[in-house]
Amino acid sequence: MTTPSPLLEVVDLDVAYRHGDGWARVLHKVSFRIGAGEAFGLVGESGCGKSTAAYQLLGYRRPNSLIEGGKVLFKGCDLLALERHELDRLRGNRISLVPQNPTTALSPGMRVGHQITEVLRTHRAAPNDAAAEARMIELFRLVGLPDPERVGRRYPHQLSGGQQQRVTIAMALACDPDLLVLDEPTTGLDVTTQEQIIALLIELRARIGLSMLYVTHDLGVLAQIADRVGVMYAGHMVEMAPTEMLFRQPRHPYTRGLIASVPQLEAVGRPTERSLKGLLRRDELPTGCPFQPRCAVAEPSCAGNRQRLEPVAPRHDVACQRWRAIGVPDLAMVKGEAPAVVEAAAIPLLSLDGVTLGYGGARGPLARLLAPVALPVVQDLSFRIDRGETFALVGESGSGKSTVARAVSGLIEPLAGAIRFEGEALPRSVGARSSELRRRIQYIFQNPDASLNPRMRVGAILARPLEIFQNLDGAAIRERIARALDEVRLEAGYAARFPDQLSGGERQRVAIARALVADPDLLLCDEILSALDVSVQASILDLLARLRQEHAVAMLFISHDLAVVRALADRVGVLYRGQLMEIGPAAEIFTPPFHPYTHALLMAAPGIQTERRPPATQRLASAPVAGNKGCVFAGRCPWQVGRLCEEVAPPWQLAGRDLRIRCHIPLDELSARAVWRPDREGPRLAEPVEPSFLPSKSRAAPR
Amino acid sequence: MMAVAQPTMPGESRWERVARFWRRAPNSFRIGAVVLLIHLFVAATGPFWAPYGLSQMGTGIPLAGMSWAHPFGVDQLGRDIFSRVVHGAHIVILLSLSGTFLGLVIGAVVGLISGYVGGWIDEILQRLIEALISIPFLVLALIAIAAAGPQLAGQPILIILVVALVYAPRIARMARAAAVDIATRDFVTVARLRGEGAWSVMRRELLPNASGVLLVEFALRAGYAPVLIGSLGFLGFGMRPPTPEWGLMISENRALLIVSPVTVLGPGLTLASLVVGLNLFTDGLARILGRTVRLADA
Amino acid sequence: MSILRLVIGRVLLSLLTLLLVSIIIFAIIEVLPGDVASRILGRDATPETLAALRERLHLNDPAIQRYLSWFGGMLQGDFGNALTSARPITEILAPRIFNTVLLSAVAFGIYLPLALIPALIQATHRERPVDHGLSVVTLILLSMPDFLLATVLMILFVIMIPVLPAISLVVETSTVSQYARALVLPATTLAIVMAVYAVRMLRDNLIEVLESEYIRMAELKGLPRRKVLLRHALPNALVPTLNVTALNLGYLIGGVVIVEKVFGFPGFGSLLVDSLQLRDVPLIEATVLIAAAVYIAANLLADLGAILLNPRLRAG
Repeated sequence: MTTPSPLLEVVDLDVAYRHGDGWARVLHKVSFRIGAGEAFGLVGESGCGKSTAAYQLLGYRRPNSLIEGGKVLFKGCDLLALERHELDRLRGNRISLVPQNPTTALSPGMRVGHQITEVLRTHRAAPNDAAAEARMIELFRLVGLPDPERVGRRYPHQLSGGQQQRVTIAMALACDPDLLVLDEPTTGLDVTTQEQIIALLIELRARIGLSMLYVTHDLGVLAQIADRVGVMYAGHMVEMAPTEMLFRQPRHPYTRGLIASVPQLEAVGRPTERSLKGLLRRDELPTGCPFQPRCAVAEPSCAGNRQRLEPVAPRHDVACQRWRAIGVPDLAMVKGEAPAVVEAAAIPLLSLDGVTLGYGGARGPLARLLAPVALPVVQDLSFRIDRGETFALVGESGSGKSTVARAVSGLIEPLAGAIRFEGEALPRSVGARSSELRRRIQYIFQNPDASLNPRMRVGAILARPLEIFQNLDGAAIRERIARALDEVRLEAGYAARFPDQLSGGERQRVAIARALVADPDLLLCDEILSALDVSVQASILDLLARLRQEHAVAMLFISHDLAVVRALADRVGVLYRGQLMEIGPAAEIFTPPFHPYTHALLMAAPGIQTERRPPATQRLASAPVAGNKGCVFAGRCPWQVGRLCEEVAPPWQLAGRDLRIRCHIPLDELSARAVWRPDREGPRLAEPVEPSFLPSKSRAAPR
Repeated sequence: MMAVAQPTMPGESRWERVARFWRRAPNSFRIGAVVLLIHLFVAATGPFWAPYGLSQMGTGIPLAGMSWAHPFGVDQLGRDIFSRVVHGAHIVILLSLSGTFLGLVIGAVVGLISGYVGGWIDEILQRLIEALISIPFLVLALIAIAAAGPQLAGQPILIILVVALVYAPRIARMARAAAVDIATRDFVTVARLRGEGAWSVMRRELLPNASGVLLVEFALRAGYAPVLIGSLGFLGFGMRPPTPEWGLMISENRALLIVSPVTVLGPGLTLASLVVGLNLFTDGLARILGRTVRLADA
Repeated sequence: MSILRLVIGRVLLSLLTLLLVSIIIFAIIEVLPGDVASRILGRDATPETLAALRERLHLNDPAIQRYLSWFGGMLQGDFGNALTSARPITEILAPRIFNTVLLSAVAFGIYLPLALIPALIQATHRERPVDHGLSVVTLILLSMPDFLLATVLMILFVIMIPVLPAISLVVETSTVSQYARALVLPATTLAIVMAVYAVRMLRDNLIEVLESEYIRMAELKGLPRRKVLLRHALPNALVPTLNVTALNLGYLIGGVVIVEKVFGFPGFGSLLVDSLQLRDVPLIEATVLIAAAVYIAANLLADLGAILLNPRLRAG
């Protein structure tokens, strides 16, 4: 492939933000080019300056920013030198943006169709309102929105997140732009929606031949969509290469760490290279290589020498003086040991039997008198957790998985069914439980920013459970706190700090320590990794695996991330709209046969090794909600077998030793349909049995 | 976030820390603090250096205008207005602060209970708070004073109680909102899961996190208290003559407006300067605590 | 939740609040401390006059019975007779309420531009000298007690530039121009006080909207600045404005008490003060309850307006 002539060229861009009395540099001599028809990816951890760089392509400056040097040349014209009215002619017209969060980016009081026609009329891309209307409908069809006329009349809040993002994509495409800037366009979405949006973008590229700048922190996404990738760290471009080369032969130590940090779905093992250590601290950046403080292969002179991008291979540049010395890595995976199979005990530690959960319809007793409906969120749920076992509950947001944890902890009372702990019924509310029971079940929350009292020092936070459950005195408490901090790999000095003086990962460590000092038998881990950066996730995952061994504690591990679940869980339950779809040992969950929903989740999860898939057949963004008579997944199920699924509740089928799948489709057919394969050596992309994912009413009932 | 990160630099004395805080504080905070300090100084020491006594008559020609000897003029009875304003400072400030503080304590307790305990208690307290707020505050103050009867009329304690009565429901509403907000945060859930009682949760988890809101709320209300007390005095329902309460003085001297406007403007602008100081201070305080001040609340 | 249910719930809640207010008012005035009759008569009381007054006010009946007959009468529009003049309260109230409504209407007319224009200027020139200057002015005005502001205006326009009357006395036979001259100063005072509150809130609201992502998106769509401001920013800043206006209505009801007194304007507010000074219990109760009812109604209207203006609720 020859280098395409650059459509856009960024040259030595320096940008600073106001910081107290002075200016803090956020971009250091960043340069890159994007050719016509090329998709260029920018990747890095949050705060590395990738979004700042992207917005310069639209000539957008934050109020407190200063451009200290450099050029952004679009077809040879410097965008940074243009006046506002000149920029207005380009923005949304030749260069357009797909924002990170469609919910806040769409004007809340304006119908979405109008927001599109507004762009068309502003840039005179449509001669009159009727033409604009027609183009809007055409665009909505292009991005796969069902029933475009009706969607156009909706307000943003009436659309789902995925539909909103389709609207912003349609808006960006309205005037046939030359360049599309995508700022983390899938970050705020569910995994399956994420996958649909990415499939849409890939397909659009194939059809329209767009140039793109794709900004993300997610390497897996770039593996699928980008031609070339630039890796940024603390405002510096540290490596730039064609996508495949970057993943096969990453040169910069930071890139390697980043790749190693991504939890792998395809293999249980861990990569040979360790994931990233430490954190980006802006106030401690050396004058030379910004990555030097966290770099395992740095030499003393790295801190002083400014690193410049130099070619290591054709079209592959890296900014590291050590690149020759550290050589080319081998990213082969080592198979780790599968988690030990825990023998099923006679009496499980925790068991749920036909549990139905829901929240009241309204807040406040007076309001509830007017609206007394409780909406069931989880229906007829049964599973068990044995001592020392890790049971993972997987599902998208809204599947009710956190509700299960809240019910086990006693925060909400079940509407029906029984929750037993060591065979005895758990009192329904936390107030009715004994202190001993409360000690034995500990809850760790998703977001450590919210779960630690900001006005208490870490020491006091850790002391409360000790005072309440262990009845210890001052000296013993201090000694126990020091030990607890050490267990989660924090220094003893952290006891004197307030939570806001800690990083996100450190805060989650404190939250874990707080749960562990109670010496629990069961830990409820509610999405405890999802609020953290990838590199931090990996280290917390390691910590959890170790602590589970040392404390012999059972876990109810709630997550939407299959890769994480695969690395940690002994057994897995897959939840969809409050109902279990599949349950069984982790090893069997990740091998065929799959429940159609499990399969969809697996296919949707981005992973680095995932090669580019053939553009998925276009799917409807939202499928009709099925009545509650049949299978809850009916209507969204790619393998649906006609009306049977909508009208009759599916049976549980036993597959293998302990795997149960709730589906009408026979097991051997489920196995046959499976495209996803657990091992990377095997054939990874079998031909789909049914090429269309569209639910079809005409399809025959199963044999 | 609520916590004011004031990281301690090693080897720094308390005074250096205060100085550093002062340098970094917003301008409004600094100006407000200076104005307040002047008022406090006058209130504390005024009676010792005021040129004339509180009710000393015949200090000059009645209704004489501004002069060096009488910067705020002389009233009908020949009393020096400037001296009376100085003598009145501590009355205005003490009444405002103690009334507001009492309202804060009652409001915070009621609000936190209502917001955290919830259920029917919350519902009843909320309705009661709502009903009390629905009576315009000046009207509420006036009927409370009228109801108190002649024995209490003009007594400082009545003024303090009335200020508290007017403010408590408004502060309670704020405190309740803060409590409801904080109560949904996970650290409160963690405390509940430990089995901590309502009282312990309120004291350890809610109050420290609501203290920023309450502090700003106190400053905001305290800033309006002199106006409320002045209004009562102005209408003849506040302190009784010859107390040198500023609102009352404005009312007394309004008859002389045409002859000697300074007798009204003197106490009036002094009152305004106190309120400006308090408002600036509140604004700065809120900025330091990272919140926006909501000023309008009738 | 359907919008109708929301509206009905909100209305019911307002009625409940009004009921509670009536109980509180009745409790404060008639029940709490000691004997109403001796409070009304004060030092001049003799056992005979006290007994007569008690009889007239039905004070010998139990409190609950008195409350019910009082509140029941109110519901039928019968406020009873004033103590001092012995005239029906409705008759006394009618012209006073007319005057105050007129005053409030004029005040609102002045208030709207006084609030909107500075807020728009400040939000679009934020952190510039104009913004800071206006902030200082609003802060100083905010800190001025309304009776002082009224007095200052009086000094300016009655004493220094004598164009307006010192006493805004009007009677039913006053001409339109007499009314107009009488209304200027009190209405301006009220408008300034209300606008000062509103300007600060509006400025902050507008700035918040201007910093939102959808405004950035609108700019990055290539919309010119004027369109961004008028089509995307203003409509979204208007809902909170409604709230400020309701708060201001609440202020207005208290504000007229002071302002009418300062200017000697014969409205509802000065009637309230007079009735308190005369200790005319039935008149006090009627005026206070009406004041509270207006406040509750204003808040209700603002809430309903917010519900109707919010596309989230309107269509949901």
